[in-house]
Formats: sequence, C-alpha cells, structure tokens
Amino acid sequence: MYRRELITGPNFSGRSRALRTLLREPDFALRSFFVGPYAEAALSGLSSTLSDEIAIYRDEDATASRPVFWPVDFAALADRKPQTLSGGEQILLALHCFSQSKYRAIAIDTALEQLDGKNRALALDYLGGSREPEFNVALIDNRIDALPSWSRREQRAEGSAYAGDLSALTGELVPHRAGAIVIHNLHFGYRRGRTIFQGANATLEPGVAHRLQGPNGAGKTTLLKILVGVLSPASGRILLNGVRYEPARSGNRAIALAAQNPDHQWCGATLREDISRRRSALAGRAAAPLPSDERIVSLSRALGFPSLDLHLYELPLAARKRLSWLWPFSGALPWIMLDEPTIGQDRETRLKLADAIRRLCSLGYGIIVVTHDDDFAAEISHRTLAIEAMQIRTS
Amino acid sequence: MPQAKITPNGAVAFALMLIGATMATGKHGLSIVAVLGIAFATLEVRAGTVTALKRSLVLVLPLAAFMLLVWVVIVGRAPADIAAGSVGSRDTALLYVALICTRLFLVVFLIQLIVACFANSTPLRFIGALRVPMTVKRLLMFTLSLVETFRHAIDRAYTALIACGLISRRRSVRNFVNGWVLVQTVWLTAITIVLGRLRDKWPIEDTLGLLDHALRPTARSLSCRDLVWLPIAVVATIAAVAAR
Amino acid sequence: MLTTPRLIAIALCAALNFSIGSIVYLIKLPIYLDSIGTILCAVLLYPDRRAAFICAWISGALSLLLSGLLINPFVPWFELTDVAIALFSAFVIATGAETFRARPIRPVAFTTTILLFGISLGVIAALVSAPIVVYLFGGVTGSGSAFVVAFFLKTGQQLLSAAILSGLTAEPIDKTLQVLVAALLFRATPNDFIVMLRTSYDLAAGKDNT
Repeated sequence: MYRRELITGPNFSGRSRALRTLLREPDFALRSFFVGPYAEAALSGLSSTLSDEIAIYRDEDATASRPVFWPVDFAALADRKPQTLSGGEQILLALHCFSQSKYRAIAIDTALEQLDGKNRALALDYLGGSREPEFNVALIDNRIDALPSWSRREQRAEGSAYAGDLSALTGELVPHRAGAIVIHNLHFGYRRGRTIFQGANATLEPGVAHRLQGPNGAGKTTLLKILVGVLSPASGRILLNGVRYEPARSGNRAIALAAQNPDHQWCGATLREDISRRRSALAGRAAAPLPSDERIVSLSRALGFPSLDLHLYELPLAARKRLSWLWPFSGALPWIMLDEPTIGQDRETRLKLADAIRRLCSLGYGIIVVTHDDDFAAEISHRTLAIEAMQIRTS
Repeated sequence: MPQAKITPNGAVAFALMLIGATMATGKHGLSIVAVLGIAFATLEVRAGTVTALKRSLVLVLPLAAFMLLVWVVIVGRAPADIAAGSVGSRDTALLYVALICTRLFLVVFLIQLIVACFANSTPLRFIGALRVPMTVKRLLMFTLSLVETFRHAIDRAYTALIACGLISRRRSVRNFVNGWVLVQTVWLTAITIVLGRLRDKWPIEDTLGLLDHALRPTARSLSCRDLVWLPIAVVATIAAVAAR
Repeated sequence: MLTTPRLIAIALCAALNFSIGSIVYLIKLPIYLDSIGTILCAVLLYPDRRAAFICAWISGALSLLLSGLLINPFVPWFELTDVAIALFSAFVIATGAETFRARPIRPVAFTTTILLFGISLGVIAALVSAPIVVYLFGGVTGSGSAFVVAFFLKTGQQLLSAAILSGLTAEPIDKTLQVLVAALLFRATPNDFIVMLRTSYDLAAGKDNT
C-alpha cells in the first residue's frame, strides 16, 4: 500500500521541516526524489545537458516498473542545457527523471504551483489522481487543501518571525495616473530561428489589471523582458502614454518588476542595499517622487520584516518572495509587473495580495500579472492577454 | 562506446603528447606534428574535422592579427634580433610571428579535433570513460554544470539590473560604475542555488551516489585503436623534439 | 579535506573565474579579471591554510583549462602564475578575512589591506609570469599588455625586462581590483555557506524554506 501525504498549513508553520521529517520515516522510503521550490531546486545541478540529467537518474535495470511521465518531447531537446528550459519545463523534466528512476518515493515542495493548468493536471494525475501510484508521494502545495484518498498533515502557525500586515501594503500610496502601453506590430525571435512574436498587438490601460497567460515556454517572460528593456524587438513600436517607449535604449523608467523567482531580482545583499541602489538608479529620471526611507521601512514592516539589514539570501524562500513585492508596491514606478506572485504563498496571503492589487488599480497604477493560478486571477477583475501562435489576444 | 573507436583516455593521452611536442619543438618538428594531426583528423574525426578547423581559426586568427600588429607593425623586429642587439627586420619579425601562430594553431586544432571526435558523446559519458579518480570526475561534472549555472545566473542578474535601471544594454559609464553589482548578484544567485542543493536535494536523494554510479567506467580503458595511435604519438613526439 | 561543499566551492570559484569574462563583455569593461575566484576560494577556507591553498590552486587550474579550451589558448600555460596566486592568497590574503567581513566596515583597515595585498600580488604575478611570456611566447600573448611590452622594447629594453616592466605596470592595478572584488564577494557571501566549508557539514540537517 503506497502512501500519499499532503502537508498543509500557513506560511512559516514548518511545512518544509515536516516534509523532511516525513522523509526520514523508515516506512516512507530509504531515499526519496526531491523537487524543491523553483526550477533550480528541481534538477540535480550535476549535468550540462538534458540527456545527462536523464541518464543520471535513469534506472538501467528498470526495477521500478511504472509508466514514464512524458508531457514534453525531451528526446528532441537532448542537447539542450537544462538551465535554458523555462521554469515549468524544468519541473516537468524533474518529474520525467523521477518516473525513470529507482526511487520509491517523491517529495514535492510547492514546485507544482509553477506549472500551467494542463501540465499541473497531468502531474497531479501521475502522482495519484486516476490510478494507484506505485510509489509514495509527499506534497506541499498552497493551492490544494485536500485531495481524495490522500492523508493530510496540517501544520499550525505558532507565531512567526515574519508576521506582518499585508493590508497595510498600499495604505500610504497616492493616486497615480500611469500612461497606457500600446504594443504595435511587435516582432521578436531568439537566435536559432525561434520566433516568439510575429506582428503582435496589444493595449494595456492603467487602472486595470492585465493577466498575461500562455503555456510554459510561450513567451510571457520574453514580453516582460521586452517591456523592461532587457530584449529589443526586431521591429514594431511600443508607446507609453502616446510617446515612443524604447527601454532597451533609454533604460526602464516605467515598470517595477517582481520576478517569478525572487532571487532573480535583487541588486544587493541586504534590502537596504537593494533599495538604495534602485533609488539612485532612478534619481533624476523618474516621473514621480521616489519613496522615502519611512515609506520603505513601513512597507518592510507590513511584509513582516522589521529590519532592512537582514541578509536577503539567508531568509526563507517564501519570505524572499514577499519581499520581492516591496519595490513594486512602493509606488516608485507607474506600472507594476508581478510574475507568478503567488508561488509559495498561502491562501490568506494570496487574498491580501489580490486586495492590494485591486487598490493599486483604483489608484490608477498599471498592473500586469503573470499567473497560472486561476483562483487568484478570479479574485481580481482583469483583462486577459493570451500569448498564443506568436500573437497577443486580449479578452 | 564501441571498442573499435578511440577512447577518451586514448584521445586525451594522444593530444597531450602532441601538444607537448608542439611546445618543445622547432619548425621542423612542427611539420611532424602537423602530419600526424592531419592523419588523425582524416581517419578518426573525418567530417568533424571541418568544424574543428573552423573553431580553431576563429580562436587563433584574431590572436595572429594582434601579434602581427605588435611585432611586425609596431616593434618591427624579432625577439632574437632584440636580444642580439641587431637592427633586424620586419621579415624576421613576420617569420617569428608565423612560427608562434603555427604552434598555437596546432595546439588549438588538436584540442578541437578531440572535441569533434566525441561530439556525439555527452559530458557524462566522456568524463565517465576517463581513468581518473572519482573525485576528479565529480569535480569536472560540478564545474561544467556550474559554468552553465553561472551563465544562467548572469542572464538573470543582467535582467534584474536592467529592469531596475542600474545597467543598460549599451556601453556606458553607468555599466562601469555598477559592474560590481552584477558580479555580486551573480555570485549570490549561484551560491543560493548551490546551498539549496547541498541542504535539500542532494542529501534527500543521495544524488551524488547516483552521479558516481553514472560516472563509473563501463568499458576498457584503451581500445585497439588507442593501441595503434598511442605508440605512433610516442614516436612522433620523440622525432619532433629531436628535430628541433 | 576535499568534502563535497569544498568541491562545490572549487567548482564555483573556477566557474566564477571563467564567467567573469562574460560579465566583462556584457558591461563592456576594458579590463580582464581572471583570478577573483582563486583568491575568493582561499579566503572562504581560511583559517585552514593547506586546504585554502589546494582548493584555490585547483579552482585556478580548472578555470585556466576551460578558458584555454574555449576562449584563449594562451592561458593554460600560466599555471605557475596560478600556483603563485593560490599560495599568496592562502597564506597572506586570507589573513584579511576578518577585516573583509567586519560589520560595520572599517574603511581605513579595509582599504589599506586591499591595497597592500593587491599590489604585492600584482608584483608577484608580474615576476612569475614574465619568464613564461618570454620563453614560451616570445613576449607577446593575446592581452593588451603586449602593447606595453612593445613600448618598452622600442625604448631599448631587452625582452625579459620589457615583459617584467609591462607586468609591473598592469598587474598591480589588475590584481588590486581582483582582491577588492574577492573581498567584497566574501563579505556578501551568506554565513551558511562559509560554515559548510569550514566544518564537517551534516548534509542531513535541513532548514525550513516555507
């Protein structure tokens, strides 16, 4: 009889610790396959090609007879470097490796939250949906409270070092009329013939939340990078408030980005260093006054961090994710982009974040959210920008 | 890997011997090395030789142009002339540069031939086949993987710093001033990734045990082809060094 | 001595040495920094000087090998310079670890230490590299210092003295920058990682991420 264990509870209640304790139980497994939060924690980190990653885990004797999880044609990507796959694809690769391995158990710590709807359903089905799996499963997922036939272990919050007041996130913000972003005839492709956009058009109005949607690898992150100036379109125009906007040339002065993995957005070792560098980068170039020290401290406390001198990289991952919202919510820039903001966040946090986004919209800020979380998206009135077939379709 | 083909052990030993000969010999010895290199390319590498040649030229031609500029255009005489205190000439400088560049090209070409010879292999299989201690194999795998992790981290940090306006895509004073921030961000990103693996993934899975299993050699150290090429390389090395 | 965290540190520092070239290209800096990882590796492993030297040396050698294979075929021949840098880093530069990590930073002590170590390392690197530059490559490698060598040759210097003078002109500046960057990276490195390197770390212990 194989075990399926779901570990639930709020953030900072010790779920990851409980997961590790479970993995040490003698009747769970001698060794488990582990898929941690974010793509970098999903793969072994020992290979420089996809085929090597699979080869490291492959059970040559096929002792664990179970179906192979194959949502993506990994054979066609054999020479690709694992780090060049999108985050969701790396999670799927990890599950594929597990399905070919000898491991009798798998532990997943919030990683499934990064998958789009279709792949998430496939993964959950493989782990014990429609058929009896021949391996033990331990799962932490903020979007699941219970699953049929799964045991549930609930962790309770016992006071947290990171307790804050998320409802105070937008308290001090003043109305801010952001300019509309108009994308006209956008063409972009990476080298080696991979076209992402071909004549794409879209209009993004301030005061409205826009949900950017598309399957893993469709081009959502590419669009974000074009809008902040990391990538330059091959052709086409982007207008901001009616004026040509070329951030690749002039620098980003309009959009505050909270990255999917918070470690991909820091520019300092501590919060103080990070904010001070951002402010000095914008000094004299921003359209509106930059947030004061008091505002930054107040926001930091609202997010649960009384000190700006904590070493960012020594904080728990869920804490770093919350801190990644600080700069976007400071009001420094008129447009705010949140890339998968709810990953690793419990239900209460997600609701408060939705509330904060609604308030930002009412104040006239522009909001772009990339999220696979349909429940979270339903909390915010939004327009959908779906990236498909190299176009952006608005609905 | 089929035993009839040259093995990574044989190929590396072959290349090392010839590289040593290249650095130790003069112009007559270089022709012996060149002939053996061409024979190896024809018989072992075949179509991959074109790729090896292209890559070698890409690496060496800019260096050759640079050395021409310094020695022939600017200095105008060879080091031997300088040491002898003689006037020298641009012709002797040109001959001198030609010798250095030929030597360099041969070294690079030999290395690229080995890479091309095993182009269809993966790093795991190539390193696994080497007869070196497991610690060395682990280290090579870690390094190759971390180079990719760094490249990934550089891309992410680059995005982050452009997004917050600290650096720009074009050359600028801002980039020079904030270059340190990019380095710091890349380092911290890489450390965080590595810490996560050391704390969680690797101990839970015993991933390193899997790696050791995957790196264990499954074939003999040397194949019949190796036992043909290696003695030839030894003879060629001796002949090349003697011919200097 | 070569625990898994230390092997990782070696590989990380080798990758840092190798990758700094990419960073320099991205932000278009006019200098090439190739031993930051070597110096950093030694400082991370202080006070175990023997481990610091061996790990620093291996990380330097690995990065020279990678660079030689993929970017610049001249560099692997400077292994002796790598040994000298690793030795100096492990037995001298690493003693500045407490100064580098002091919070708040002590500006005078920090600056003095960096300048002293950087200039000293630059002089050593210049003296060790010069014979290699002269006897293996006739005085000219692929770096910009070749112009400085050419200048000194034009002024009537012999090859070895020209190479030494060229090295003494450029290396102290380059190495001081590298010691500075290594010190700042050491300062920013999370404590957890340093503890892992300096102790026999129990891989079974975990930390709550959520």
